[in-house]
Amino acid sequence: MRVSIPWLKTLVDIKQSAAELADTLTMLGLEAEMPDNASFSGIIVGKVLKADKHPNADRLSLCTVSDGKEEYQVVCGAPNVAAEQFIPFATVGAVLGDDFIIKKSKIRGEVSFGMICSERELGLSDEHEGIMVLNEHAKIGSDFADYLSSNLDYLEIDLTPNRPDCMSHVGVAREISVKTGQELKFTYAEKRQFKKNEVADILSVNIDDKNCCPRYVAGVVKNITVGPSPDWMREILETAGQRSINNIVDISNYVLLEMGHPTHIFDYDKVPSHTIGIRKAKKGEHVTTLDEEKRKLTDQLVITDGKKPIAIAGVMGGLDSAVTDTTSTVLIESAYFDPITIRRGAKSLGMFTEASKRFERGADPKGAENAYWRVVVLLEELAGGEWIPGIIDEYPKKISQNSITLTREKIDILSGCELSDTFVTDTLSNLDIEVKKDGSNKWTCIPPSFRPDLEREVDLIEECCRVYGYDKIHSSFHYGGLYDLAEVDPEDVLSLISNTMSGLGFRQCYLNSLTDENTAGILGKHSIPMKNPLSATLSHLRTSLFPGLLQTVNYNIRNGNSNVNLFEIGKEYNSGKEYGEVYHLTGVMHGEWLNKSAHNNEQQQSIHSLKGILEALFKRLNVNAVEFAKADHNHYDFGLSISLGKTVIGNCGKLKKSLLDDLDLDMDAVFGFDIELKPVTKEIQLVKKYAAIIPYPKVDRDMNFVLDQEIDTGDVTKAMKNTNSKILLSVKPVDIFQHESLGENKKSVTFHLEFQSAVKTLEEAEINSAMNDITAIITKQFDAKLRD
Amino acid sequence: MTINESIASVRKSFRADLDSFPSDQREIELLRSKYFGRKGLFAGLYKKLAVVSNKEKPKSGQAINAFKIELQSEFEEKASLISGDNKDTDEQSLDLSLPGFPITNGSIHPLQQTLDEIKNIFKSVGFKVAYGPEIEDDYHNFEALNIPKHHPARDMQDTFFVENDVVLRTHTSNVQIHLMEEQEPPLRYIVPGRVYRNEAVSYKSYCLFHQIEGLYVDKNVSMADLKGILNYFVKRFFGEGTTMRFRPSFFPFTEPSAEVDIWDDKRGKWMEILGCGMVDPNVFDNVGYDSSIWHGYAFGMGIERMTMLKYGIDDIRLFYQNDVRFLEQF
Repeated sequence: MRVSIPWLKTLVDIKQSAAELADTLTMLGLEAEMPDNASFSGIIVGKVLKADKHPNADRLSLCTVSDGKEEYQVVCGAPNVAAEQFIPFATVGAVLGDDFIIKKSKIRGEVSFGMICSERELGLSDEHEGIMVLNEHAKIGSDFADYLSSNLDYLEIDLTPNRPDCMSHVGVAREISVKTGQELKFTYAEKRQFKKNEVADILSVNIDDKNCCPRYVAGVVKNITVGPSPDWMREILETAGQRSINNIVDISNYVLLEMGHPTHIFDYDKVPSHTIGIRKAKKGEHVTTLDEEKRKLTDQLVITDGKKPIAIAGVMGGLDSAVTDTTSTVLIESAYFDPITIRRGAKSLGMFTEASKRFERGADPKGAENAYWRVVVLLEELAGGEWIPGIIDEYPKKISQNSITLTREKIDILSGCELSDTFVTDTLSNLDIEVKKDGSNKWTCIPPSFRPDLEREVDLIEECCRVYGYDKIHSSFHYGGLYDLAEVDPEDVLSLISNTMSGLGFRQCYLNSLTDENTAGILGKHSIPMKNPLSATLSHLRTSLFPGLLQTVNYNIRNGNSNVNLFEIGKEYNSGKEYGEVYHLTGVMHGEWLNKSAHNNEQQQSIHSLKGILEALFKRLNVNAVEFAKADHNHYDFGLSISLGKTVIGNCGKLKKSLLDDLDLDMDAVFGFDIELKPVTKEIQLVKKYAAIIPYPKVDRDMNFVLDQEIDTGDVTKAMKNTNSKILLSVKPVDIFQHESLGENKKSVTFHLEFQSAVKTLEEAEINSAMNDITAIITKQFDAKLRD
Repeated sequence: MTINESIASVRKSFRADLDSFPSDQREIELLRSKYFGRKGLFAGLYKKLAVVSNKEKPKSGQAINAFKIELQSEFEEKASLISGDNKDTDEQSLDLSLPGFPITNGSIHPLQQTLDEIKNIFKSVGFKVAYGPEIEDDYHNFEALNIPKHHPARDMQDTFFVENDVVLRTHTSNVQIHLMEEQEPPLRYIVPGRVYRNEAVSYKSYCLFHQIEGLYVDKNVSMADLKGILNYFVKRFFGEGTTMRFRPSFFPFTEPSAEVDIWDDKRGKWMEILGCGMVDPNVFDNVGYDSSIWHGYAFGMGIERMTMLKYGIDDIRLFYQNDVRFLEQF
């Protein structure tokens, strides 16, 4: 919200600069900022010396602008340009916005050396009706940015939703007054006495639904003249960012910005029934609002003329009953509507107006009457109106403020600072709270009607603290409870995994868990759709980490990095009976795992470089029972399942070209793995046990078997391990040799075996005996031949 | 046996050994010492020179030397074939200006690094870590946190709906409720996790981000304690000289509420880093804690924002683009 500093100054004495004021308000909880002074380049204060009609265009003016030294001819399209004005002048070469450069140009046959700017062109506001006119203190030829900062007359406040009272100048001025101790110079318009309530004879108000409309105040002023507002009104509205329309509309806007209470002014003669009804709309009804839009209604709260809707309550008035130049009698509405009702109505129509914003946060029920009297006074003063004595004040559901007990004990515990009794009492009463000190440790408080946010003791403590100043609360360290010895972080194990992957040459990624419907379903899983997606490309929760990683590989290839190993630890989401969120470790590898150098040739990623990574990972995690087995998998060409004991925990392999095609990715072989983390992390012992190092030497032996081509070396390795030799430590295939001399479809495989005993140095005979056992089993089981 | 006969005998034995040249490095070493070692066959040959006449000595000596060089070069050639990498010749390995082997580096994502750092700071002062669901019911994400339906406070967080009453959580505060439903006070936790906002993607906002939430419930907890812990955190995370500002704000689940800014010298202005406050008594009521006995504070911050401020990153989308040129900087 924009607050005008000159306006505030009429309500409370302010000795601070704009920046200091912004700081004071911010420290009170009203986050205030100086308008963002975009840096200007080449924009100076100019003076219009002459503004004549353009010879070739009716709507353009041909001006002479001075920068104090020279005079320039400038073509200007704004209706409000006139001689003697000081204006923001964009000289040739100036830059507006990000990249709009002002050049010397010809407009309808006349050369223009620069441009006279509107506020919108300068990025200051949306104002584009005319050029910005500077005040008489502007220094010709000076930098426009300097003019702006010395003439800054408003602040932008980002209000939290609990403070509807501060959506007004009086509200903000009250805050300043409480903090600085300067008196608030504002009194509500006097309630008038009348002999007879004459207005009741010419107007009736019927509230259908008292919960939606607890209070409706109305009255009539006749013989008004619609016309322009006086200068003081136009100027003050302008500093608050509100353009002047005519005296009647301006009065309503003025009261809104001053007191924060929305009112509406109808043309009395256009409500010929002279009846106002307040009820829920019926389906099929509609109303054309002031912005000339025809609104279809469902169940919004509406104002009717007794029959049909003439306005949307608390949101916007109707066009048919609006004030026009010929209006002479007006009907004033000043109501209090239920916040939830207004919020739902505004939301259902997508209409967020100055009125609805205030009602939905909670307007002031007493403000309804106060605003009425204020409007009456202004209509008399500015529009020459004659008040019809009386007021209609339907108030079927009284809204009252509860009394709150505030205790010294709670203040001390929560605030953590020393707030004296006098400070508490003074602060609360300065905030218009009725305060009564009961005994030594208690206050009884009744908040004002404009503070719906003050309901409980803690709310009052916050008031005291923020006025005292959060910056004055000291820092302390206090822990009453004991340190807990239970598990500190169940996800510590994930750090071990990501650190290991990083050590193995993988880069960790964070990917979006929202994706499009096709991608989410690409691996044939059921995905969870959003009811209100941001866009079609971000409409479903992912069911696999693969697509995102593959797209990232593709992105990096296109940006010159084709050798990439990526992984993510993240959640997959699935819809079953319950929504599932399952942690996965997924990785992809593309390109070379070893680049060419003076020492070596490059090595391409392969199914075996992939397996090597996974073996190294599991070894580091001390999860030793992991097994790989060939398995058909619908997204791999060569796929392996990864299991832990009997549980399959994941899979890996070369990703299918068709999968890449479905994702619209054009790239070479990509290898990937996907592991569900829960079964793995269960196995990981973060607290390790030491096993004694065996002091006896290891003995290495190679064995060479001639095998049928199709026998998997893995099976042979496993069979060797299964011979139950107590001294066989490890087996691994180290060489595979194929030659016709071996016989048709044969291969020779060299296995490297390590033997060791935990209790003694092995003797040759023991090793030979173990090797003989192995030879016997392997030759029998695989029809193999030991090669010497 | 004459010297020449001895040489011939060594040659024969060498040929045989060369034919069955071992592949194992240790066996190669054994073979090497069999010939060239201190007690090896060549040592034997040289010993034989002792009995040769002085006249013959130089000639025989030269013959043995030449023979040794011949065998040695044959042996080394064979040995180098076995050890495999014939590219790495002596000459090259002596060019110390050559770069080393091209070892591939990995990296930990900057968000993970920030998360770990923040977790460690709070762990060091006795906070435990808890996690919770991203797909959450309306009650835990909103109602229980004192954000009723149709309340303007709901506008503070644009929400993705999965069903009418199921959302993608808009903050990690839902876990506060789960923790307090499951445990009796006192408790002291931080809660990291992924949260979602239905906001257009731009350089300063993304449809999801990561938060870390803190919750401490005990007797006699005050605003001063909240300020104390955050002050400690800010100085450890951003550095000892960091200036922090604590200012009033509004969150439905805390009262009083505050926001914390740090001073950014480069930009010359305050940068908001987190929201916090004293747990609202309505929240305690919702989880069945007696708010006349128990007090507490809660705070929440965005990991992305902290990372951006710490490293001077100006576009949040970089975190989710995973460009190697970005990742390798961390």
